[in-house]
Amino acid sequence: MSEGYHIVVCAGIVPDPLQTLQPVQTPTGWGLKNEMMLPAVLDPWAAHALYEAAHLAKKTPGSKVYLVSLAPKAKLQQVMMTVAQKAAFELVPVDGPASGFTEAFEVASALYEAIMGIAGLDRNKLLLFGGWESASRGAGSTLQILGEMLQIHDQFQGVDECTVNPDGSLQILERVEGGNHQVSVCKGPPVVLGWATGNLPEPPNNPQIGMSNMRTIMPALQKAKTAKIGADGVFFGSVELPKQLRQTRVVKDAQVDEIAREILEWIRK
Amino acid sequence: METILVVLNVDENGNLSKHALETVSAGVKLSKGLSSPFTVGIVGPKPELAAELIGGCGATHFLGVSAEAFQIPRYVTDSVLIENLANKSQATLILAPGSSRWNRVLPGVAHRLGGRADLHVGELKVAEGKLSITKWYYRQRMEAVLQRAHRPWCLGLDSGADAPWQGERGQVSVEILDIPINPAEIRTQVQGAKSPSTSEQTIRPDAELLFVAGAGWTKKQADGQAHPDRAAELILRFLQLSGASLGGSKSLVDLSSEGQSVLPFMTHLNQVGQTGATPRHPKGLATCCHGEEPHVVGWRFINERRAVNLDPNCGWAHGKADVLYVADAFQVMERLNALLEQEKQSK
Amino acid sequence: MTNETLSVDRQEIAVDIACVGFGPATAGFLTTLSQTLMNSDGSPAIESRVMPGAPLQVVCYERADDVGFAVSGVVTRARAIRTTFPALNLQDIPLATAVSREELVYLLDPIGASRRPWYMRFADKTIRALRRILPYEKEALRLPYIPPFLRKDDGLLLSLGQFHQWVASQLLASGLVQIWPGTPVAEPLIEGDSVKGVRLADQGVTKDGTPTESFMPGMDILADLVVVGDGPVGPVGRKLEEKFGGSKPSHLNEWAVGMKMVVDLPENCTLPEGTVIHTFGFPEPEIFGFLYVYRDRVASLGIFVPSWFQNPVRSAYRYLQHWMLHPYLWQHLEGGTLRSWGAKSLKESGKLGEPELIGNGFARIGEGSGSTNVLTGSGVDEAWLTGALLAQAVIQLAKNGQTFSKENLEKTYLKLRRGSWLETEATIAQHARNGFHWGFFSGLLGMSLAGFTHGMLHFPRRKKNHRMPSLEEFFKNRIAPEEIAQIRKECYAKGKSLHDALMTKAGWPEIPFDNKLLVSHQDALLLGGKVQAPDSYADHVLFLYPELCDACGVKLCAEMCSGQAITPNPNGGRPNFDREKCVHCGACLWNCTQAQPTDPDKTAVEFRAGAGGLHSAEN
Ligand SMILES: Cc1cc2nc3c(=O)[nH]c(=O)nc-3n(C[C@H](O)[C@H](O)[C@H](O)COP(=O)(O)OP(=O)(O)OC[C@H]3O[C@@H](n4cnc5c(N)ncnc54)[C@H](O)[C@@H]3O)c2cc1C
Ligand SMILES: Cc1cc2nc3c(=O)[nH]c(=O)nc-3n(C[C@H](O)[C@H](O)[C@H](O)COP(=O)(O)OP(=O)(O)OC[C@H]3O[C@@H](n4cnc5c(N)ncnc54)[C@H](O)[C@@H]3O)c2cc1C
Ligand code: SF4
Ligand code: SF4
Repeated sequence: MSEGYHIVVCAGIVPDPLQTLQPVQTPTGWGLKNEMMLPAVLDPWAAHALYEAAHLAKKTPGSKVYLVSLAPKAKLQQVMMTVAQKAAFELVPVDGPASGFTEAFEVASALYEAIMGIAGLDRNKLLLFGGWESASRGAGSTLQILGEMLQIHDQFQGVDECTVNPDGSLQILERVEGGNHQVSVCKGPPVVLGWATGNLPEPPNNPQIGMSNMRTIMPALQKAKTAKIGADGVFFGSVELPKQLRQTRVVKDAQVDEIAREILEWIRK
Repeated sequence: METILVVLNVDENGNLSKHALETVSAGVKLSKGLSSPFTVGIVGPKPELAAELIGGCGATHFLGVSAEAFQIPRYVTDSVLIENLANKSQATLILAPGSSRWNRVLPGVAHRLGGRADLHVGELKVAEGKLSITKWYYRQRMEAVLQRAHRPWCLGLDSGADAPWQGERGQVSVEILDIPINPAEIRTQVQGAKSPSTSEQTIRPDAELLFVAGAGWTKKQADGQAHPDRAAELILRFLQLSGASLGGSKSLVDLSSEGQSVLPFMTHLNQVGQTGATPRHPKGLATCCHGEEPHVVGWRFINERRAVNLDPNCGWAHGKADVLYVADAFQVMERLNALLEQEKQSK
Repeated sequence: MTNETLSVDRQEIAVDIACVGFGPATAGFLTTLSQTLMNSDGSPAIESRVMPGAPLQVVCYERADDVGFAVSGVVTRARAIRTTFPALNLQDIPLATAVSREELVYLLDPIGASRRPWYMRFADKTIRALRRILPYEKEALRLPYIPPFLRKDDGLLLSLGQFHQWVASQLLASGLVQIWPGTPVAEPLIEGDSVKGVRLADQGVTKDGTPTESFMPGMDILADLVVVGDGPVGPVGRKLEEKFGGSKPSHLNEWAVGMKMVVDLPENCTLPEGTVIHTFGFPEPEIFGFLYVYRDRVASLGIFVPSWFQNPVRSAYRYLQHWMLHPYLWQHLEGGTLRSWGAKSLKESGKLGEPELIGNGFARIGEGSGSTNVLTGSGVDEAWLTGALLAQAVIQLAKNGQTFSKENLEKTYLKLRRGSWLETEATIAQHARNGFHWGFFSGLLGMSLAGFTHGMLHFPRRKKNHRMPSLEEFFKNRIAPEEIAQIRKECYAKGKSLHDALMTKAGWPEIPFDNKLLVSHQDALLLGGKVQAPDSYADHVLFLYPELCDACGVKLCAEMCSGQAITPNPNGGRPNFDREKCVHCGACLWNCTQAQPTDPDKTAVEFRAGAGGLHSAEN
């Protein structure tokens, strides 16, 4: 595969995970309280997909990385400030909601449109990357649907590793039950890989990459098409925070022995 | 009226897993609640044997797929498999255990069939002749109850969504489907499972107890030194003695996978929390872990929770654990291990 | 420094202008600049020197992980901000609210634990006795008159985080400047008497700075002009002071740590939107407080703990809780919920602490350049103005093809700054706080004198920095030395600081945690501050002299650490530092009680550029 891959990474944005989230009903359906005020980050698993993509592209000359993202333009722009220094990519933005309460099918349709609009994209080189689940919808569905739309039937989810064999085939490790990995070998692109954490650390901030990315990111954002995304056919009865405060009994000043016995008793109960 | 399809696979021993039996229960429940017929589709080398195990479940129809190409989890074959079962049964509701195998394909198949899918379904409820499901959003931060208009509706059920089906075995007739597949379409070969490269298998989904280790195990202790070796020893011994499953906080997992020889058996697969796993165990014991919110969201399905921490004001104290022992985990675990050893010897 | 010892392959990039820090000062600079960078026909109004044909290449590096992770009050008259945005619509900025009413309140001591001089105790008594005829309510006296220099009649309430997000989104959308959060600048690149650019912090290193296999040496950003807006404790600004003088002896530097919360007020709270409350007198005479009410029943509130408060265990967090619990405030706060929490240093010396503002290839703006006005309690708009003025100067110089030399900056930026309202007001304010060096009463009197006489009358400064009293001196007559010794022994063995135990012993009641607003310090970090630290950078707080720390009787660095990131080391020597709790407030830098053996104006703490910190965009 000397000509390299066309790696399309689909990544949404989600509220910075440490923020306090509260569901509220809005005129357009369910959403988060102060959604526009919350700082956002690239969806964590999808971010890993991006790092893996950048890593693979670097090892495979001639490769290209596209970051396809459906999110409110202003928020996406802000997230780009922290992402664009991490990996070289071409941004393909779609202006639309980042809410978790939208339907995966509709999101996949918008992403499909965007991907079909990428000039020069070669299906025979296509690796469709993303997070196996978003941190918002948590549906674990979008990539599969998108894969179907693109008629890619080699799909992998919960991927922690993808290596290229000398013959160009791909060895893929997927998370399965019991902390194990399922090992598969696929002949090559096109494939869909829904990434879990992977093995790569977050890349350092590289100002050079950032500056060159920004030259294409800003114009792309300015031209971003708007997509109408909702949840057609889905009826939410309720959305609630779990009531989960327990009455904690705090045991202070107890002897270690006493504590150990109490724990043992509890385990055996 | 709906038409229900329950998709199951047999495990290596020809049995149906607990998760599969839970899905059967869900199918039975829906069939009754919606007064709808239900079909069971089983994939396995000998689907009849498994069908017999649940012969008394009341399914109207049993379908089986025994061809070899369909015995391994793989998108291309599994999707064709469900597609055929769905077409054959004319199902409007398709239930499957939300295992890695079925979660991989359900959404794609749903789309192929012109329907929709939901994974991680927590609970199925029928009211006024309509099905509602519960599902978490924002990484288990909020729970929604929803209904859908689109059919077929594919549902990947989380384990624990229902009680495992228990009932009479029964002789049933299984219609074996012969599903055509073009070998050229099979571009993926599954080579098998690989366990983490540690000697010790630390993740035990069926364990009674989840034991969580936090970064405190690697921090400087009262004597100003860190004792990672001692920590590793205590934790491993406890896992052996108690049969607990091991979870870790992100901080600890990050440290361990940074290549620092902290706790060599800790991998990111052990991580519990928002960006890690949300395991299900009846009990959980947290040690040297602060109980921060992003971690504790991973405890959503742990019913009874206790924690050992030096800090009486750690997160666990604030309504996150049932009991917080303010104590040195090194000492407590040492003592606990000793008690377990005693117990073992006296047996 | 690792830079010198390691010969590494350090990459370089060249830009026209590099800015350090994205605070209000740089925001003002970039906004003003970007308004004129392009002609209306889309051609560059000012051409780049490093990239001919393109518009001026401007980058800004901010150490925090996002542009919105700032900490401030804020009430502001927003004169400069409104000049930049003549059509400012508050509805566009989340939380922004117009000031509707102001209160200046003297808080009596309802507990009896406050360390009050006799005349304050007498005042409290008198006020209580005359409460029927005074504007007294719930242990507080609302002053009938607010001096004009303190008033914010036409002012705005802002969340600095949300304001920053709003400004940054417009800046980025313009495509004319680049802002990079999560990118700490390690130091200026100085050659002879010129600044040639900045060096970014190394990545891929362990906590002590040792390169790992993913080592990436911090890049050198070469720039014709370095705009230093790194705030009160920025390492770039401090390095410039060291090199180019203008640095003031430490006794001229006055500091405070501001600690704040953003709170969802309880449903029954009746405080009108736009309310501004300023308090003084409690929990200690030296501690000032503020409470501002945004729209939608959200409040921003907090206290300032100043460097001239000679308490060797001055913990802002515990004091903040006692302040909130004062009946006058608690009547509004009880039942509220913590949304956000944060802390940050303030350089209160204002013009007195002004460093060299310009040099060849650099200019300083914002609080680090001495712009903050303690008399009016205002820093945001002042910082914005300095940035806006510098932008005007840059445009003028660039259009005329002139370089950013010291001489040229003097004729432009310095001249504009000296002729501005900022300078007039800073001059009035510069001695306003001197009175506090002599006592609380003289402090208030001094502020009023300076305010009313436009700075003509003021108290003289005390010559030397006071030495921090020992614990035994400070708690004399309240806690016996043996008890202090016992508490010290017990706490240090556990690696804990002393303030909680000592304050409780001195009569401060335990805080009744309600898990909503009154939460433990660590929970405030988690719930309100969402503090984080990326690995891959070196630790940014260093204790340079373990032997000094060992001998240090009041480990003030640990006592006042805003995030409990610094704790006493049970083994003696350097205190422990846990960066995952550090909010980068910078208070450890100026709170350390020991001077460096070689430089008495510097403390034993080194505060470098680091990534991470607060992840809250509401402060
Ligand atoms: C995007 C994002 C996602 C995240 N996702 C996750 C996630 O999925 N899972 C997760 O865990 N975290 C997650 N976090 C991180 C989380 O916020 C915390 O940083 C982490 O959980 C802290 O781990 P800890 O409690 O083990 O470590 P620490 O906070 O360092 O706590 C150590 C604890 O050990 C105690 N201790 C020390 N010595 C002893 C002793 N001898 N005996 C008893 N107690 C002792 C201390 O008192 C302290 O409470 C996430 C953060 C971010 C930003
Ligand atoms: C609690 C509190 C309440 C306040 N209330 C008010 C008020 O009501 N009204 C008012 O007008 N003022 C108020 N102030 C003061 C006001 O916030 C400051 O004067 C103002 O923020 C100064 O702006 P600046 O741009 O100079 O610096 P800063 O706001 O300090 O910004 C400097 C920026 O530089 C960054 N930085 C530092 N070092 C580096 C580095 N090495 N590399 C990269 N980036 C770096 C910092 O992270 C920071 O974002 C308050 C301050 C506090 C702490
Ligand atoms: S850093 Fe300063 S205050 Fe802290 S222990 Fe050392 S000498 Fe004392
Ligand atoms: S260690 Fe961090 S939080 Fe503590 S005082 Fe220093 S800068 Fe502030």
